[in-house]
Amino acid sequence: MSEESSSERKLVLPGDLMETKSKPGRGIFRKDGRIHASVVGHSSDKSGYINVNGIKGRYNPKTGDKIVAVCAETGPSIWRMDIGASFNSTLHHSESGWKVPFGDTARFLSIGDAVWAEIFMVDAAGSHQISLKKDDCRKLYSGTIVKINPTNVPRVIGKQGSMITTIREKTQTRIQIGQNGYIWIDGKGDDISLAQKAVEMINEEATSKGLTKKIEKLLEK
Amino acid sequence: MAGQTDMELIKNGVRMDGRKPDELREVKIVAGVLDNADGSCYLEWGNNKVYAGVFGPMECHPRHKQKADRAIVQARYTMAPFSVNDRKRPGLDRRSSEISYIASQAFEKVVMVEEFPKASIRVDMQVVEAHAGTRCAAITAASVALADAGIPMRDMIPACASGKVNDIVVLDLNKEEDNYGQADLPLAIIPSTGEVVLLQLDGHLSPEQFEEAMDLATSGCMDLYDKMRAALENRYGGKK
Repeated sequence: MSEESSSERKLVLPGDLMETKSKPGRGIFRKDGRIHASVVGHSSDKSGYINVNGIKGRYNPKTGDKIVAVCAETGPSIWRMDIGASFNSTLHHSESGWKVPFGDTARFLSIGDAVWAEIFMVDAAGSHQISLKKDDCRKLYSGTIVKINPTNVPRVIGKQGSMITTIREKTQTRIQIGQNGYIWIDGKGDDISLAQKAVEMINEEATSKGLTKKIEKLLEK
Repeated sequence: MAGQTDMELIKNGVRMDGRKPDELREVKIVAGVLDNADGSCYLEWGNNKVYAGVFGPMECHPRHKQKADRAIVQARYTMAPFSVNDRKRPGLDRRSSEISYIASQAFEKVVMVEEFPKASIRVDMQVVEAHAGTRCAAITAASVALADAGIPMRDMIPACASGKVNDIVVLDLNKEEDNYGQADLPLAIIPSTGEVVLLQLDGHLSPEQFEEAMDLATSGCMDLYDKMRAALENRYGGKK
């Protein structure tokens, strides 16, 4: 789902009938055997499935997604983490990797602290849990968090990570891009604000072409 | 409906503001005007000015209002104190509670509420300037704001009123026609199916006039629907 050629991109609005023989994928609903778009977005008809990639909307958590989460609330044995979805996510102490005495959660993560985590469970009712026990998951110290539209995350990463590599190299910053559109940037003060500017620019001009060149130009200054 | 006036509301088939009986007032719709809302819309309809903002889906508070199998739509219609000639006392009143309620019901028909159990979708409609037909203006604006927020829905719902003035069925009443006319019939439909999601009637209409008024309001809704689509296409660069 990276940069598609613009000839395929077609704007569709909720309720639009999709003329296709493909199977319905995302952003789609079926009525009377016909397929309609359910969100404002761009349609793509690839490998037998028709999808509408929504332009806006909240993050829809999927198991295995790597995300940046911010602590919103602490309980005696859990943390409630803001991940930009409809609901706050739960981080249970047993999934934190720390040995947390009962009632002492705030000593490890207090409100406003950020972590790099993985979603390990999403249930049918829409609630979800995250874990810090996977791979490189950890607490994020210092740095800043930029929030962008989750649908623009692939643009920030670019083809095979080209965009993010450019930003990282040119600004000398450490960046973690969460699938939820929360981006953690750490480095020297000016470098952070430059990287932040670049990310925000990508978010605003996500649909325009030649973005990599524009970003390079911005970072050259 | 009850008021009396010496004004000539319709003269030789032309209304006081120069419109024909089946003509809408001028409509301007802009999507995505507010930064802090998930989706938003500004709408000018004649002299009406309405802002709509959408938040969510998010956790529903108070929790006893949560539905275990679906989301609820919490619409809120408010009029600014300066929106009318006599200062309106701010806050909830009978009229705004009613409009909020019927708007919520209408939106729950089109929004895919079953995708977000226990959630709430908040729709705030603020009337900045009122000149008759604000509930229709507010619902229209809120539909665009819902689509702008990226909330999955089956269709957008345009709302438009028709009514009766001097025994003539007319589309989209203005303030004078609303105050001194004989009937007012706000209507909201789902354009793709023709389903009615909101219908009210104030005043008296004969069965034939009712049919005529329904047809007129439906055609008004369809005109409006094109404008709503244009607003979203404009915002998201559909026309390149």
